[in-house]
This record gives sequence, C-alpha cells and structure tokens, in this order.
Amino acid sequence: MRQGVRVLGPLLALGLVVTACGSSGDEPSTAASSTSAATSDSGSEPTAAAGAEITIALGSEPTSLDPHIVDDGGERAINDNIYETLLFRTPDGVLEPGLATDLPTQVDPTTWEFKLREGVTFHDGSPFNADSVVATVERMVRLVADGKTDNDGFFGSLTGAEKVDDTTVRIMTAAEDGVLPARMYWLKQIPASAKDSEDLSDAPVGTGPYKFGSRNVGVDVTLEANADYWGGAPSIAKVTYEFSDDSATRLAGLKSGKYDLITNLGPQDVQAAPKFAAVAGQEHPILILDADEGITSDVNVRKALNLAVDKEAIAKNIFGGYAVVDAGQLLSPSIVGYNDQLSAYPYDPAQAKQLIEDAGVAGQTIQLVGESGRWLKDKELLEAVAGYWTEAGLDVKLEILEFGAYLDVLFDRENRADAIYVSSSNDILDADRQLSTYYQAGGIGSSNSNQDLSALIDTGRTELDSAARAKTYAEAVKIAYDEAYFVWTVNNEDLYGLSERMQWTPRVDAKLLVKEMTVTG
Amino acid sequence: MGRYLAGRLLQGLAVIFGVTVVVFVITRLVGDPVDFILPLSASTEQRARLRTDLGFDRSIASQFWSFLGDAVHLDFGNSTFYRNQGTLSVVWAFLPKTLELVAAGMLLAFIVSIALGTLAALKPGKITDKILVVLSLGGLATPQFFLCQVLLLYTSVEFNLVQFGPGPWTHLIMPSIALALPAIGRLSMVVRSAMIDELNTQYVKAARAKGIARWRIVFIHALRNAAIPFVTLFGWELIRALAGVTVVVENVFNWPGLGNLAITAIKERDFFLIQTIVLVVAVMVVVINIAIDFIYRFVDPRVKLS
Repeated sequence: MRQGVRVLGPLLALGLVVTACGSSGDEPSTAASSTSAATSDSGSEPTAAAGAEITIALGSEPTSLDPHIVDDGGERAINDNIYETLLFRTPDGVLEPGLATDLPTQVDPTTWEFKLREGVTFHDGSPFNADSVVATVERMVRLVADGKTDNDGFFGSLTGAEKVDDTTVRIMTAAEDGVLPARMYWLKQIPASAKDSEDLSDAPVGTGPYKFGSRNVGVDVTLEANADYWGGAPSIAKVTYEFSDDSATRLAGLKSGKYDLITNLGPQDVQAAPKFAAVAGQEHPILILDADEGITSDVNVRKALNLAVDKEAIAKNIFGGYAVVDAGQLLSPSIVGYNDQLSAYPYDPAQAKQLIEDAGVAGQTIQLVGESGRWLKDKELLEAVAGYWTEAGLDVKLEILEFGAYLDVLFDRENRADAIYVSSSNDILDADRQLSTYYQAGGIGSSNSNQDLSALIDTGRTELDSAARAKTYAEAVKIAYDEAYFVWTVNNEDLYGLSERMQWTPRVDAKLLVKEMTVTG
Repeated sequence: MGRYLAGRLLQGLAVIFGVTVVVFVITRLVGDPVDFILPLSASTEQRARLRTDLGFDRSIASQFWSFLGDAVHLDFGNSTFYRNQGTLSVVWAFLPKTLELVAAGMLLAFIVSIALGTLAALKPGKITDKILVVLSLGGLATPQFFLCQVLLLYTSVEFNLVQFGPGPWTHLIMPSIALALPAIGRLSMVVRSAMIDELNTQYVKAARAKGIARWRIVFIHALRNAAIPFVTLFGWELIRALAGVTVVVENVFNWPGLGNLAITAIKERDFFLIQTIVLVVAVMVVVINIAIDFIYRFVDPRVKLS
C-alpha cells in the first residue's frame, strides 16, 4: 500500500502529461485527411490527386475581403483566387489576356477599349459583361473620391467606363496613362449588382476558379473549387487559409503536416522545410542617398558608397544565397523598363577608399537610417553596409529606429538623411510604381532634385506605347545609375515552404494562385 | 453584503476607468497608425485624410471625450485592422477561444495541483515529496515561451501526436498544458505547505484518534481548511492566465484567442482594438476579484465581507 503511493505520485505527474498528448494521436492531420481519388504506383511519376484539400498558412490575416478597399497581402492571397481581372500575367510577369480576350486598344489618348470574354459568369450566376466592368470601375472611382480605399495610388487616374456593347467596354483616364494595362491586371472585377456596396467583405463573389466558403475572423478562411470555372475546374477541391505571424509556428505546422504551403520561409529555415520553392520576386532593399546636400551630394562619394559594398557577400551570407545582386536599378528583370545594359557596381574597396579620400570626406560622419523587423534581414543588411562604409574610411552613424520614427525620416521632405534604408517592392509590376516613389524628385521617398530624370518618369507614365515606355524607363534608370542616387544591394527571393505532396512553382508577382497548384496522391 | 458588493463594484469601475485612461494616453503617445495602414507609397494627402478620418489630428483630450461619448452607447469604435468592423464584435469573436483555453488550462491546474500537493504533504520529506518538489520547481521556473516551443516541437513536429492551431478540441490539449504547467508548479507548492500545516493540527490528531478514515480526514477536513491560501493564489493564477500568459501561449500555438488578437492589435497599432481588449480584460479581472471574495466566504464562513 505504502509502496503503491510512493510510486504513484511521480507516475501520476508524468502520466497526466503523456495521456493528454496521446489521447489525440488518432486525430488525422490535415495532410492525411485529404481524399485522394487518384492512385499512384510506387516508383512511377506521382500523379496529381484530384479533389484534394490543402491548407495554406499566411503570415497575416486579411483585414477585409473586399477586393477594392484594402491594400494588404493577406487579402490578395485569398481574393486572387476568387476574383479575376481583365488582364493576367504569366508566371514570369508578362501581361496577357484574362477576362478580356486581348490587350486593350487605344481609342484616344485617355480612352482604352477592352474586348471581353463571353460566357463567363460570377459565382452568383450573374453574367460578366460590359455592365459589370462599368460597375467595377465606377465603384472604384467612387471609393477613391470618397477616400474610402487605400488603393488610390493604383486607381486614382481612372475617371469612368462606358459600355459599347455587351462584350466591349471603354475605360477612361484623367490624363494619358501608360500604366492602365497594369492597373487592369490589378482591378478585381465585381458583379454589376455590387456597384453601390460599401463593403463586400462578407460575401465575396467573383469569376475565379474558387468560390468563397467561409470566414471565421481570427481563425480561418475557406474556399471551394468552382466546378463551372470558365478556364476549367481546378484540381484542388478545397483550400483552408490559416494565419500565423510567427515564422517558427508556420514552419512547425509545415513539418507536422498541418500546412501544405507557408509564406515567408526564412532563408535559415530552408533546410528544415520538407520542400521549398524560391523565385526572384520584386523585393529590393536599397539605400537612398541624399544627392542634394551633405556628404552624399558629391557623385563620387555616392559611387564610392556603391563600390564599397560587397553585394555578392550580402546575397550569400545574409540571404543564404537566396538573393541575386541588384543590377543597379531597383527593377527586377520581369518589369517593363528593366535596363539589361546595366550591371551592378563592382565590389572594389580600394577604389572606394580612394574616391572618399579624393573627395576630401575621409573620416567624416555619414548618417544611415533604417529600422528592424519589417523586412527580411533588414538589421543584418544595415549592419553589413555600415561595416563596409566604415572600411571605406567614413564614420558611419547607424540609426536603427522604431518603425513609426523611421517612417518620419523616410517621409521627411525638408531634411533628407544622408542614407535611408528601404525595401522596395512592386505589386503591379509596373516601373512607374517604384520610380515615381523613389527616383522622381518630390516622390515621397526620393532624395534628388534631378529635373531631367523627373521629366523622363513623367513621360514614361503618359507614354502609351509599351516599347516606347520600356525605352524611356531604361533611360531614366541609366541616369540614376550614373548619378548613383542609391546604393543598390540585392533582389532577395521570395521563399515558400511546401509539403512533400505539394507541386507548385512560385510566380514573380507573388500571387498564390491555387489553380496553378497540384498535390500528389 | 449588498453594500459590500456595491462598494466593490464602484471600486471596480474606478479601476476600469483608470486603466482605460492610461491605455488611451499611452497608445496616442507612440504615434498614430496611419502609416501602418496605408501602403508605403501612399501620398501625403492620403495620409492626412485618413488621419483626420480617424481623429488622430485632434488633441488627446478631445479624442478621449468623443471616445467616452461613444463608449456610453457601447460603441468602442471600429477596428483599423479588421476594416469596418466594430472592435467589440471583433473581441467578442475571439473571446470564447481564450475562455476555452483558460478554462481547460486552469481546470487541469486545479485538479493536478491539489492531487500532487496533497500527495506530497502526506509524507513530507520522503521520496514522493522530494520528486514532486523538484518537478514543481522545474515547472514554475521554466519560462512559458520556452515551454511552449518545446511542447510544440516534440508533440506536433517530432512525434506528431497532436496538432495545434484552430481546429477540433484536441488542438486545445497542448496549449492548455503549456498554460497549466507553471501554475501547477506554484499551486501544488501552496497546497503542500498548507496541507502539511493542517495535517499537524490538534483537530486532525483528535480525528485520527477517534478512528476516522484517513481519506475523510484529508479530503473532507484538512483540504477545506487549506483552501484559503489556495483560493488566493488560484485567483491570482487565473488573472495571470487571462491577462498575460495566454498572449504567449496563443501566439506560439496559433490559438485564435484574445492573446493572439492583442499581438495583432499592438503590431498593427490598432488603438481602438487595443483599448477594447484591455477594457474587456479589465472587466474580467475585476469580476474575478469580486468572485474570489465570495468564494472565501463560501469555504470559510468565518470570513466577513465588509
């Protein structure tokens, strides 16, 4: 009896924990519970399992499921499967017809005409036609005018749309707008009946390959395959999105079989993931140099700051090799306007040091402002750059600020800091986005007052011919390169963790299109 | 007793008001959320307009005045993160998950700590007692964050015993254990020492001399008398769980409760949501405190509420 009690105590303590864990061992993981219609012989090519269910873990929850109000990655990751746009992009980023049957034609400098695909219906059964396109454009114009959308940067140039016939529609802009085709790759098409809605978040209705299933705020969002999809029913039957801002938790879920795809896999975690996929996306960390005042107003100093930084080493050591050196232009090769004649400033510490000395600024203080935690490896990159600049003979004053304070510096138009870190992305894959923000004099993050460059960027925006635009931007990019308005570093790759069964190639526009995914049975 | 309750409720209201003011002012001091909401490329005009819409261009006092006016009508403003949704309804959606977690975790802590503490007190200084003391110290000394990561790594990833995150009730097992373990460490130590004291009292000796069954002495007489310090600490653990520990546990196990919501709200600077979360948690803490007073009276009728 006494013996029994003596042993029982510690056993009870351990046993409670063990039984609690063990009792749920029979609970099937998400991965195992997927129904697989297809069978695969061992040793042969894995076949795609039709009717599979997958779970995707996103880093942030959508703030709304209205396709027009918010500008947020969580919303896009989901709505890109529910809604569609007049134009699509290939996985490599080239514009192609979508709900429109062709690229638009020009009626006059501010009017574009789109021919629409016939026989497309929304999930509620209503037709996709010129009326629904007009409703979509007019809703966005109204939301912009009322200040109810975060997307006026994308759609502020639209003025309206008019129906020509059921399958022909014209979209008007305030001024010549060469970005319009890219905007129509971004504007999600809603049914005509949704035109006057203030908020479509509760019941998203699109034309896409997936229909909205359910949304539990804070918990998950589910989508179901649209069997009547005009492009053919997708292979994956059901998608569940969960949200976790903790990368360790996302990785744990991937390894335990709970998730099939996780976003923002850290370069350090690549080996730990069952599978991973990488693509050179649009993310470019850069340092904006003040070309007008202070130590960086001398072009030779700005060149020296470029020459001093070992971009290869940053790509290899900070981003684990999952980055390519930025060819001195902030634009990825997938963007119209990318200048393939340019190549990155080489790593030449000796020449950098010489230029600094010749400019008579050796030992002087240079201010480098950044933040920590918002972008991948931001702090590591800043510290590396500070180290390189110190080696080049400068006294680097590195300021890593809290994000709000950092933005105050980035947006301060009166006093530009010598060097400001920012990681620039480009959602709509149009050069105007980055150039008017960081390159053009007066842009919210720009630190130069070059009027020639500014004029070129204006020309590019209003240029309607795609080839001519590409040429204008390539020229603008060259000017900024020669003037070394920035220190360009790398183009870091988007990294995704995949489960063993998941087959998917990521896109340069970072869209998570489930119709392009398959799982093996 | 009615007067007592009224007094405590008034006190509670003062606490809730004080907390609200402090949170309101602190959030406003860290800068506004406009830059977090809008894309980096948004124009200055766009930023200014949103700032005006949300009232952040006005003085803190003026903002607080309108907040009070709306709060009277139970309107705590719209979340800036969950666009166009009232903060109270957002909190309402997350609250049940936290209550589930706290209920499961604290029930586990309640049962296990009483069982282990009593077991240890039966033979103080012997091997069972020593093992339990070491385990308890280990439990209460392990940082919750570390504990959660270890549990997650071994139960879900390495051995794949149980999944986590939103889902069926089995997903609640690991976070409940993570929540309970340090509390079990502290609570069982209190049960142990209170029981050792009780089992050495004259009335226990008298009862044993009369031949009353040992289990009756332990469970009916001694345990009830040892309950006061236990209830005090248990109430404190409950508050600690609700107002703090769930933040860590929910984040690691991705449990969609108020703690996870609080992290999102703070990260996104959703001031209105932060205010409402703090308000709701403050109300719960006040209610628990009052409830504990009544439980004292229940376990020990000699306690006078005045």
